[in-house]
Amino acid sequence: MKHLKFQVCIILSILVILLSLTACTKEKKKDKIVVGMSRPLSGWMAQIGDSAFRPIYETFVSEVNAQGGIFVKEYNKKLPIELKIYDDKSDPGTMTRLTEKLILEDKVDFLWPACGTSFLFAQAPIANKYNYILLTAEGGATTIRDMLPSLPYLFISLSFSDWYQIPVLADLFAQKGVKSAYIITMADLFGIEYNGVSGIELPNKGINIIGVKSVPPDIKDLSTILKDAQATKADALLVLAYPDVVFLATKQCMELGYNPKAFLGGPGVNFGPYHMTFGPATEGVLGFTTANRKTSPEAKVLFDKLYTGKPEAINDWWGHILYWAGLEFWKQAIEKAGTLDQKKIRDIMATETFNTILGPTSFKGGLMAKESHPGEIGQWQKGIFEVVGGGKWPATKVTAPFVYPKPAWPKPAPAKPAPAKK
Amino acid sequence: MIVKILDIVIAGLLLGGLYALIAMGLSLQYGVARVLNISHGEFIMLGALATWFLFRFGVNPLVSLTICGPVTFIIGYLLYRTLFTRLRTSSASIGAYEGSSMLASFGLLFIIQNIALIAWGSEIKSYTYLAFPVNIGGALFGANRLVALAFAVFIGLVFYLFLVCTRLGKAIRAAAQDAATAGLMGVNINQVLALCFGFGALMAGFAGLLISICYPIQATMGLEYTIITIIVVVLGGLGSIPGSFIGGFILGLVGSIVTSLEPGLSLVAYYVIFMLLLLIRPTGILGK
Repeated sequence: MKHLKFQVCIILSILVILLSLTACTKEKKKDKIVVGMSRPLSGWMAQIGDSAFRPIYETFVSEVNAQGGIFVKEYNKKLPIELKIYDDKSDPGTMTRLTEKLILEDKVDFLWPACGTSFLFAQAPIANKYNYILLTAEGGATTIRDMLPSLPYLFISLSFSDWYQIPVLADLFAQKGVKSAYIITMADLFGIEYNGVSGIELPNKGINIIGVKSVPPDIKDLSTILKDAQATKADALLVLAYPDVVFLATKQCMELGYNPKAFLGGPGVNFGPYHMTFGPATEGVLGFTTANRKTSPEAKVLFDKLYTGKPEAINDWWGHILYWAGLEFWKQAIEKAGTLDQKKIRDIMATETFNTILGPTSFKGGLMAKESHPGEIGQWQKGIFEVVGGGKWPATKVTAPFVYPKPAWPKPAPAKPAPAKK
Repeated sequence: MIVKILDIVIAGLLLGGLYALIAMGLSLQYGVARVLNISHGEFIMLGALATWFLFRFGVNPLVSLTICGPVTFIIGYLLYRTLFTRLRTSSASIGAYEGSSMLASFGLLFIIQNIALIAWGSEIKSYTYLAFPVNIGGALFGANRLVALAFAVFIGLVFYLFLVCTRLGKAIRAAAQDAATAGLMGVNINQVLALCFGFGALMAGFAGLLISICYPIQATMGLEYTIITIIVVVLGGLGSIPGSFIGGFILGLVGSIVTSLEPGLSLVAYYVIFMLLLLIRPTGILGK
């Protein structure tokens, strides 16, 4: 018996020593924060991904690592960020498999988002299932918002339809006496949502929706629909669709000589390629925005850092400042938590306010507070995507008045593209 | 009412003209060279992006016809002489060759697309050319689309005359009927098949150029045109170039009519036609 007790003690001691050694070894080995992403590096969503979140995460990581990384008290040192990115080929099924791979096989420390509303819809439950914080970038939807109470690890940074774009648009229209609108919407989650919110907000402000047409994402010809819209003599034309349909609608409106008093395009108008393509024809075109260089000195510094000396193609006047603010918020949450424990960081993100590029920023119920948004509706004026509409709170910074009616399309230009503008 | 009908019909013809040109190219590649070229849409994309690229330097898109077409022809010709000829000579049967060449064209699809993504990026591109309305019987149409239709019809007719009136055209038709016998009759079959594949790529390049005049373009645009082209080729009759030409216009008209009623159903209409054809008349309109 005595002999057995002695053996048990020896074994337990060895185990304790081994465990301590393992803990020490683990602590010494943690020398980076690995962030995993499933992104559309190819396929039809690549155009959005490359313009929207990609310039932000590349610049953010580069800047953070240049400063040594994120200080994590648990390790008593700064840990640089390492990105692990897989190409989901713009396919939601592939994205979900890659997301699980990142979590279960690669065991990344953090997850950054996939691209697009329908992709986030698929990714959010996976991240939540494994208790991974998912701070979103491109995409946002009322349908995801409705799920937020059951997705405590989801944090949405981008503004969207009723958070708070379409209500602001309706206010702008009402102020200028817009009485009617024709809506072309895309037959997917994005289009359904924006059309639904427009169907509530516009009539609330006395704007009659006199036509709605739903189009597939790869429609080749909008001319019959645009002629239908033209025949209704609606004051405003809303093209609530993705860039390829918005570009097509703009092009065909010019070809048909159809010049509504207000023309609003969905995602696409806010991107640099839109101005690169249409140049002076963008004058007066409305879209979704958050800020520009005139919003604040900090915003100017950010946009200069992101855009100066680079092609206009990477400009995004809607999402970039929001994604950047989200990443700044995430970094500060980690620093405050002092650990890479997802739950602790999550609890901080859900309750705290941090200073970011937008000023005091917080997440309410998983949504970046709309009171942090400097703007919602933009309008191209003399080559600048001005903020013409925002919510009624202190953070709002309108940079130019809303021009209504929209100027007529310019006469056909000679065979040279418009010069790129910063 | 008449204006509305004119609207729909002419819009259908405008779109159909482009489909017809694209389908003639694939019909040539499959009907004669026996390659169901899944990367056909990527040649369209190359023609479109090359035109956009040249436009940035002030080259008129119609002048680019003299550049984009020959370049895509050369690429197609060389691909056939190297890749597909090797597959043809090493395959045990025509069926095995068709299978392996289709798989090879799948690979080409990704190679060409990714080269384009690296070279030109993924963002949407467009330019404005002849972007003003023209009034036809009270209905308005973009001048650029009318010009694209005119060139599509002109190119199609020229090519048809080439097939009918020239010695090389006769050789191509002979090869389409029976490649082995044509070879025995003195036709240089390797050269003719490679030329056919090249001409198919040429048609695709021309179509891409005309598409770029009318629509926004991007490096990932090819596959959707390939799918539509396959439907048109089946509609017109496999291997029938006149059938493909007519089939393109029919599909364009169908698309225009359905879009005017319910835009969301335009693609559905194409696929319904495809399935009905396969069930009822798999040889197509003019196929054998």
